[in-house]
Amino acid sequence: MTSLKRSHASTSTGTTLSSKTYLRTLKSGKVQKVVRELYLRQDIPCSSRLCSACLDLAPGGFHRRSEPAVLSATPSATKHYPEGHYLVPDTNAFLSAMDVFEIEGNAFQDVVVLQTVLEEVKNRSLPLYNRLIALTKNEGKRFYVFFNDFRLETYVQRDAGETINDRNDRAVRKACAWYAQHLQQAAKSRKSARCPAVVMISDDKDCLRKATGESIIASNLETYVSGLPDADRLIDMVAASSEQRITKEGRSQLLYPDYLTISAMLTGVKNGTLHQGIFNVSPYNYLEGTVHVPAFDRSLIIQGRENSNRAVSGDIVVIELLPKDQWKAPSSKVIEEEDVGKNESAEVDEESPEGIVSERERRALQDEVKKAHGQSTEGQKQPTAKVVGIVKRNWRQYVGHIDRDSVRSRNSDSRAQQTVFLIPMDKRIPKIRVRTRQAGELVGKRVLVTIDSWDRESRYPVGHFIRSLGELETKGAETEALLLEWDVQYRPFPKTVLDCLPAEGHDWKVPASTEDPGWQGRRDLRDLLVCSIDPPGCVDIDDALHAKKLPNGNFEIGVHIADVSHFVKPNNAMDKEASLRGTTVYLVDKRIDMLPMLLGTDLCSLKPYVERFAFSVMWEVNTNADIVNSTFTKSVIRSREAFSYEAAQLRIDDRSQQDELTQGMRHLMMLSKKLRAKRMAAGALNLASPEVRVQTESETSDPVDVQTKKLLDTNQLVEEFMLLANISVAGKNFEAFPQTALLRRHAAPPKNNFEELSNQLKVKKGLELRTESSKALADSLDTCVESSEPFFNTLVRILATRCMMSAEYFCSGTQAESEFRHYGLASEIYTHFTSPIRRYADLEAHRQLAAAIEYESLDASLQSKSKLEAVCKNINVRHRNAQMAGRASVEYYVGQALKGRVIVEDGFVMRIFSNGFVVFVPRFGIEGLIRLRDMAEDGEKEPEGVFDAENYSLEIKGEKRQAKVELFQKIKVKISDEAEKSTGKRKIKLQLVQ
Amino acid sequence: MPLDTSTYALAHLRLDGRRWNELRRLHAQISTQAAADGSSYLEQGNTKVLCTVSGPQEQKGGRGGARDQGNEAKVDVEMNIAAFSGMDRKRRARSDKRVQEMQVTIASAFQSTLFTHLFPHSTITVTLHILSQDGSLLAACLNAATLALIDAGIPMSDYISSVTVASAPSSDQSLDEMDPLLDLNGLEEQELPFMTVGTCGRGPGGGEEKVMVLVMETKVQMARLEAMLSVGIDGCKQVRGILDGVVRSHGKRVLESKVS
Repeated sequence: MTSLKRSHASTSTGTTLSSKTYLRTLKSGKVQKVVRELYLRQDIPCSSRLCSACLDLAPGGFHRRSEPAVLSATPSATKHYPEGHYLVPDTNAFLSAMDVFEIEGNAFQDVVVLQTVLEEVKNRSLPLYNRLIALTKNEGKRFYVFFNDFRLETYVQRDAGETINDRNDRAVRKACAWYAQHLQQAAKSRKSARCPAVVMISDDKDCLRKATGESIIASNLETYVSGLPDADRLIDMVAASSEQRITKEGRSQLLYPDYLTISAMLTGVKNGTLHQGIFNVSPYNYLEGTVHVPAFDRSLIIQGRENSNRAVSGDIVVIELLPKDQWKAPSSKVIEEEDVGKNESAEVDEESPEGIVSERERRALQDEVKKAHGQSTEGQKQPTAKVVGIVKRNWRQYVGHIDRDSVRSRNSDSRAQQTVFLIPMDKRIPKIRVRTRQAGELVGKRVLVTIDSWDRESRYPVGHFIRSLGELETKGAETEALLLEWDVQYRPFPKTVLDCLPAEGHDWKVPASTEDPGWQGRRDLRDLLVCSIDPPGCVDIDDALHAKKLPNGNFEIGVHIADVSHFVKPNNAMDKEASLRGTTVYLVDKRIDMLPMLLGTDLCSLKPYVERFAFSVMWEVNTNADIVNSTFTKSVIRSREAFSYEAAQLRIDDRSQQDELTQGMRHLMMLSKKLRAKRMAAGALNLASPEVRVQTESETSDPVDVQTKKLLDTNQLVEEFMLLANISVAGKNFEAFPQTALLRRHAAPPKNNFEELSNQLKVKKGLELRTESSKALADSLDTCVESSEPFFNTLVRILATRCMMSAEYFCSGTQAESEFRHYGLASEIYTHFTSPIRRYADLEAHRQLAAAIEYESLDASLQSKSKLEAVCKNINVRHRNAQMAGRASVEYYVGQALKGRVIVEDGFVMRIFSNGFVVFVPRFGIEGLIRLRDMAEDGEKEPEGVFDAENYSLEIKGEKRQAKVELFQKIKVKISDEAEKSTGKRKIKLQLVQ
Repeated sequence: MPLDTSTYALAHLRLDGRRWNELRRLHAQISTQAAADGSSYLEQGNTKVLCTVSGPQEQKGGRGGARDQGNEAKVDVEMNIAAFSGMDRKRRARSDKRVQEMQVTIASAFQSTLFTHLFPHSTITVTLHILSQDGSLLAACLNAATLALIDAGIPMSDYISSVTVASAPSSDQSLDEMDPLLDLNGLEEQELPFMTVGTCGRGPGGGEEKVMVLVMETKVQMARLEAMLSVGIDGCKQVRGILDGVVRSHGKRVLESKVS
């Protein structure tokens, strides 16, 4: 018999084997025991330029490139560390103050990021992890990732009974000790007198104490920052450290109920007693939120601060249904935080005797409850729930302004630290308590802050200041604010991106010789009479058109799209940047490009009179506009003219023009009308959104006037052919790549989305809205007219649009084929192909189409369903954000255009609350709230309102005047602007005129 | 410890601290079961395989059956994956497709390396017991079977040694730069495209070098294949050296015990 002996002889020199065993719980509740090997080694460099021993140690990867040392030999010195220092932060330092580490300049350079810390950050927060990784890539910052868990000397085995946090802290201390000793050796061998200190940064008291015991230089973040030359500015960015929070806990009562444990939430969600969803706060009432969960048709209501239990709009929460007798009807009242919580003080929050729900808030809500009980119709009540836990916080950076009333000393020189309230721009976000030393300076500025935590004893979340964007109301600050608010990437393109541009720059031309590789597989369409039609002043021309009558009586039509994929190759830096940006963002005075200017406005843009590469879709259609055949090809074109919509319209209408180009445009016009008629017959919706154009002075881009957008036939001409091209390409791509085609769909809206609107129309106007199909909806929308008021139809269309789902990009393999339908366009399949300069989705579609016609091979990233899904997810978000940012920009400029003016205009009542109503003013595309309180003259009491929820009307009984407002009613409103007293912020104010 | 392979690009260190071209600890013993004609026990990291060989013996199931190949011995492979070998307790039926496929791969590799023509009308049965799984299962089985067959004294042209290779992105700047990784553990196997390479012979001076087994079930770009294959063949040579060492030290011990 031989016994099996385990030999511990290692297979290669320099490594030692260890193993790690741990338990983990899966989502399903199963417990797994994981055993993993660990090969400890001694060839992981310290990466300090001071150390010559480590330099030739690291073997590098397969490609034999060894990495240069990262940490400087002469790191910067501070008051406390005169010989220079390397930082070794622990996990909490990164989690609480990533902004500080990201700061440009001399502070926070030469940082050692330990593997232990990096992995803990990754487990705790992926976005922070990605920011940290980006820092390690930034050469100027000199961040080095040291794999301490793989190095023999710094590896720490978890002791029996030791918590994982203690073990990690110990690992950090051990790494610090090793580094200090290693650097001393290095300095000695170099005979250099200066040996940089290794400073551990931690906020954990216990860890700091142990570090001092082990003679490791350690400091908490605040003490460290206060030793830096720029301390005052930096200290605000350091989140209120946990130490301070602990001291508070002793004396304050807990305002909010505790969250359930993660396992309790998971079990609850699994067996159906709890539900999980995204918490959305109503834009009209900050105390009411909704959560849509799959188990219920309608969204669940969450009312009041106690029930929403520290959830912030956008968080993923777990909720518990309340018993039926506590169910509420959705609020019919406007409640704004600014009004209700006006007098609260940021400083004394803990001592206030009121509990979470302040007296005023309680009163505001009580009205609600009374009404809900008084109502006879039980159907009005909706399932109501409370938040019992948070799965994932969705906190981002918020733009807002400091509440002037919460600032103690207005003296801008005062450096005393005080706590102030920040009122976010987004009304759905609660006030944020911020500790700052520069309160005086920040009042009246747009500021960027982030939320750090929301503890049970604090009524409001606690955050910290990041930076100031500039004075309120200034163009620069407001534009930057809205770009930040909608997460638009607006920094200039980095050098790595610009390096991807063609070296010839603006001198790039289509190669003269057709033998050139650029011509390979391209058709020469330079002799076609192509022209482009765009809004006036357009410089990024994506598309051009042509039409020609064929001898057999049919027409040849071509849509030529800028060949962006020729210049932007998959996976290079430019492509990555474009895929991040996702879309070009159009603001009133500014355009934030997806691609660098050189491409967008010159090399790709189908400018007139020059030759350009294009991707062409050509059809032969008969006189009925039915497609006989279609071809797709890469091509070279020369546009004959770039028209604006007006110019094109004039040219078509001008009978004296009989040249071939104009004839072609007339053919296009004739065919586009037929296409449109066909599309409408199939049930395409003609929707409306309030669109206005702000006219700006050309020099200063100050707004001078606002106009509603005019629609010409030529707009529709271009639109029809773009739709046709998109549909054709979608079909072709789907045929070639049934699993991975990038498509766009618009889901049919669920029936109850229209419930309210259709009820309103029935009650107020006796009209019927049929919603069983898009065709029925289109037809019944056509019948919603009022002969005396032409705008009524548009108003209904605007309201109907708000009931729809939003269209989205998706990857064909992720949806059943029946789900591909585009509801609004009534098309079975659809994609975006025609604007590759300004939309990333189109660029991807170009690449897929190029592969489908075997022009080039498809990149691997476009073959993987998971990668495409990630791309779709991103561009869906970017697309929506770009729209929102654009709208916000128009809103801001409309406000500026109205500055100082008083105008009386027609408005329509869009929505009625019990204490106010929403008016839409078509002339300016603005929507505003008129509250009963606003109707009171000076010194007068707030007029009484009698609200009839079933008939959608509000009767106003003031001391001096009586009025009745009904839904859809046309009223006269006085538009003026008013500077708010507390904030100095300008707001448009609407008033009812009798 | 990193949870996925994306950290490789950071410092060229793998999930378990190895560099790209390092094998895991490979430990093997032969003649572990006296009752079998040949036996071996092999650990490749946490993948543990016990192998016994019986035969050559008369063919089972009656003489002259349809499967009788007449003038040469038939290699039969039976694989037994213990229910406790993986992370989850899972019983694998013998009719499992993946198990069957591995059995066929191993059998056909040895069919052409063993001198089967010396044993007409007979069967050589190789039984593999998988005690623990942590990646590179097929490679470990091939290596264990080689040792057991040598222990059984069945003549063969050379060792079959086997190893897995994967391809991992080596920098997150460009997707084109890939490093081949040698000898994968279970986690790496789940995340990366990989293949199993098995070779026979040492190349120049030590007989012809042939690739006997090449199994790949994941997609990988054509351009990356060459580097993977060459690293794999090189890894097989390293494994062969270790197996050779095991056999030689065992032989030495046997000789010494005979002499004394």
